[in-house]
Amino acid sequence: MIRQPNSILGNEKLLVTMGKKAEIFGFYYPRRDFAQHVEESQACIYDGKELIWSNAREWTSEQKYIENTNIVSTELKHSNGLKMDILDFIHPELPVLVRKYRISSQRKFNGKFFYYSNLQVGEMKKKNSAFCDHDSGLLAQYWKSYYVGISSAPIFKEWQIGKAMDTIWWTNAKLDMEDGGLQKNNEDIGNLNCAVGWDLNIDVSKPAEFTVFIGAASRRPTLYRKMRQVQKENFDDIYDETQEKWVKWLSRKELLELPDYIGFEKFKQDLQMAFDRSLLTLSILNDPGRGSFVASPEFDHEFEMSGGYGYCWNRDSAEIVTSLLKAGYPEYCSRFFKWCKATQMHDGSWFQRYWLDGNKAPSWGNFSFSTQIDETGSTIFSMDRYYRTLQHPVKEEYLDSIWATVLSAAEYLMRRTADGVHDPCICLWETHLGIFTYTNAAIYAGLLSAANMAKDYNEKGLADRWTERAEFIKKTTIERFWLDEGYFARGMTNGNLDTAIDASIIGTFVPFGLLCPDVPEEKEMIKSIIKNIEQQLRVPVNDHFGIKRYVNDNYIEGNPWIVTTLWLSKAMLEMASGIDPNVGDAENKEHRELTHNALKYIQWSLKGTTGAGMLPEQVNKYTGRPAWAIPLCWSCALMLDNVLLLDKIQKNLKISKEARSTGSTNEIFPI
Amino acid sequence: MVRDLYMFSRVNEEADVIWFKVAYENTLHSEADITSFFAEKGLDIRFAYLDSSEDPTRGKYVMFTEAEKGRDISSVAEELEKMDVVLTVKWGYSKNRAIQSVDFPLNILGNRAVLIRAKTFVDIINIMNEHVTQSEGLLTIIGLKNGAGAARYMKDMTDLNDENFLDLLGELLMAAGWGKIEYDMDVSELKGTVKVKESFIADEFGESDVPVCVYISAFLAGYISESLKRTVQVRESRCRSMGDEVCEHIISPAPRGVKIEHILRGESH
Repeated sequence: MIRQPNSILGNEKLLVTMGKKAEIFGFYYPRRDFAQHVEESQACIYDGKELIWSNAREWTSEQKYIENTNIVSTELKHSNGLKMDILDFIHPELPVLVRKYRISSQRKFNGKFFYYSNLQVGEMKKKNSAFCDHDSGLLAQYWKSYYVGISSAPIFKEWQIGKAMDTIWWTNAKLDMEDGGLQKNNEDIGNLNCAVGWDLNIDVSKPAEFTVFIGAASRRPTLYRKMRQVQKENFDDIYDETQEKWVKWLSRKELLELPDYIGFEKFKQDLQMAFDRSLLTLSILNDPGRGSFVASPEFDHEFEMSGGYGYCWNRDSAEIVTSLLKAGYPEYCSRFFKWCKATQMHDGSWFQRYWLDGNKAPSWGNFSFSTQIDETGSTIFSMDRYYRTLQHPVKEEYLDSIWATVLSAAEYLMRRTADGVHDPCICLWETHLGIFTYTNAAIYAGLLSAANMAKDYNEKGLADRWTERAEFIKKTTIERFWLDEGYFARGMTNGNLDTAIDASIIGTFVPFGLLCPDVPEEKEMIKSIIKNIEQQLRVPVNDHFGIKRYVNDNYIEGNPWIVTTLWLSKAMLEMASGIDPNVGDAENKEHRELTHNALKYIQWSLKGTTGAGMLPEQVNKYTGRPAWAIPLCWSCALMLDNVLLLDKIQKNLKISKEARSTGSTNEIFPI
Repeated sequence: MVRDLYMFSRVNEEADVIWFKVAYENTLHSEADITSFFAEKGLDIRFAYLDSSEDPTRGKYVMFTEAEKGRDISSVAEELEKMDVVLTVKWGYSKNRAIQSVDFPLNILGNRAVLIRAKTFVDIINIMNEHVTQSEGLLTIIGLKNGAGAARYMKDMTDLNDENFLDLLGELLMAAGWGKIEYDMDVSELKGTVKVKESFIADEFGESDVPVCVYISAFLAGYISESLKRTVQVRESRCRSMGDEVCEHIISPAPRGVKIEHILRGESH
């Protein structure tokens, strides 16, 4: 079943996705993409008559992250006067989800507190096995080398392990809970569910507290050891350690200088929070051992409405690591490029998408005509971005380690662009087959990047050859695809010029730089592209406009995307960052307009986040709510880019003003 | 005569089919007066139903008639509305000559209901059996939930007790068209049998080597367990789909403390 999370939790070993009522949607161990062990896992209260599930309609919920951390606080209020405060986080060292429940009531309450789970350990509904070792305070379920354990403080008093979907229904833990008592069955096999329970006696002045630990391991003794360890620890100590860990990690970020934007109340704080949240989100969607990222935590396991998102695409990850590099976290680059080195195919290209461990993922791009050539271009473009930031001697060591990969990739791009545009393949949206402006731009940037590294590697001949081809691609792309209407065609589809406007043509400017704003003619082209995208692809919702991918986009209602919206605003800010507003009135006006318009799009994007602040892929065009793939790494990366550009603009302004000593204020938006 | 809930008037293909919905004041003679009115007007009633069970002071009389084309029906309706016992009249032509004998929206057990053919229900079961793992378990959970819900509704509506709960179930199943039941149960021992004649699942399923009415078994288990507040298991021992004359469901207490794997292997029976 497709469920979109409201928040996510994680550490180096575990990833958890949650709904807005703190119900667990996904529990990934040992990797972010596999295996997802939980079908359902949530709390439930028995009031003496009936069960009150924590995700029931009667609860209102408010969920938010504790500032600067990946700790989530959920407050649930029931119309009957019950209140449940939940603190969720992953242990700083162990693959253990810590869930602290504090239950209060406006009147004296006597009942039961249950914690129910329907686990599918190893993503297997069948052939699971579960047992309750009450002496150790542990209920465990396992399949092959995957173990999931549930423990608690205080230790649960009753429990049930039963068949989740069988004709012997009276063993079913969910049904067993209905009379307020559990049968204490100690073990079972098959498709199972389980529950643990405590007496729940609340005085108005004395709330009840329970902490549930859900841990994972690859072996039974390891599970016992980890759960024993966590049982012994004091909750406040674990919490403080977790908080400190995240605050410390976040303190490494690039320090931002953002002004108070006139006309955008409290926006400075919102931007700072979005920047922090994007960083913290990306940190837990990365495989720390391999360097790869999931595009988004998987939510469509059966590929019911999409091809799934819980895989690593080179295109997305190349953008993500570049953004993290600029934000102050270069280690993600080095790890990801090692992964790229290992996953590159014999012909020099990269596959459509991979499992995080480097195995090829389920794909509809198995042939040379159905591959996505832009991913190869993006990868070496990103490698060079990182390379340029390095200093001697690390720079040389890095080049040595990556050279064979770059050479092979560049030669692949050469073979596939003999005519000055690429051979037919699939577009970046994985929708169209043909030749694309975006893909050509990615290849252009990839070849120039390879040439840059080739020069340093004393391969001038290769560098010249690749540069020459890149320029040929640029020339051919402009000749064949630039339209009189003032923007690039999508490219060629079905053998014909496809003049539909597609937001991905911004890629000719950012990130790939096929068009350069320093060249007046090209600057006009960029401005015209921005204008046309705004005019033709904007979708009104949430008091402004979001940008959809292209005309007649049918994927999930053709919603506006955070990605395309923040991509457009990034282009605006990139333009603005190259303009000194203190030079003259025209420059000042252009600078203000570009920045103001970009801020409006960023503000729109923030309105489309979940209650906990997660950036989705899309925003529902009717309701304005986050619509799909939550959180999406690419959206987070673009948010980082946008905020960093605002920071750069502010710093530029400061320098410019200091140089000119104009004495004027920094208020750039007198609106 | 089997009643079809969506019929077509075929008595006089040349005539118009007209429906009337008459709200009336409920007296002993109201229905007779209205029926006589139609007879006086020469409007033959092909199908009708009436209901005054919800509010004893008011009733609703719905009928489908045929009239020669071109006849002035609005004046008939106006005259009908002037009758002492009549409160309101709505009428119209049934364009496609259809006679719908179920009011819209339809309720069963206090909730919105829809009609589906037994064939559709069995198609769903067959598709589940083919594509869903543990489909029998899934049908069990659904049947249990529905059976327990039915018992809860009965408790709210009537004095459901150990003596009458199976009689009430029999009436419900017959009203819903599921089949006719005969039962023999020792309530204190939680043991007995329920025979279902003309089970809608078995009749539609066709031949099978195993019992096919697991949904009904589970419905019975849910209904009985909720009615008695004691847990029973119900399994189908004979089934029309296997060539038996009737479907037979065996009731027994749900075993507590018995090893589950033993139950699966049938050692507890």
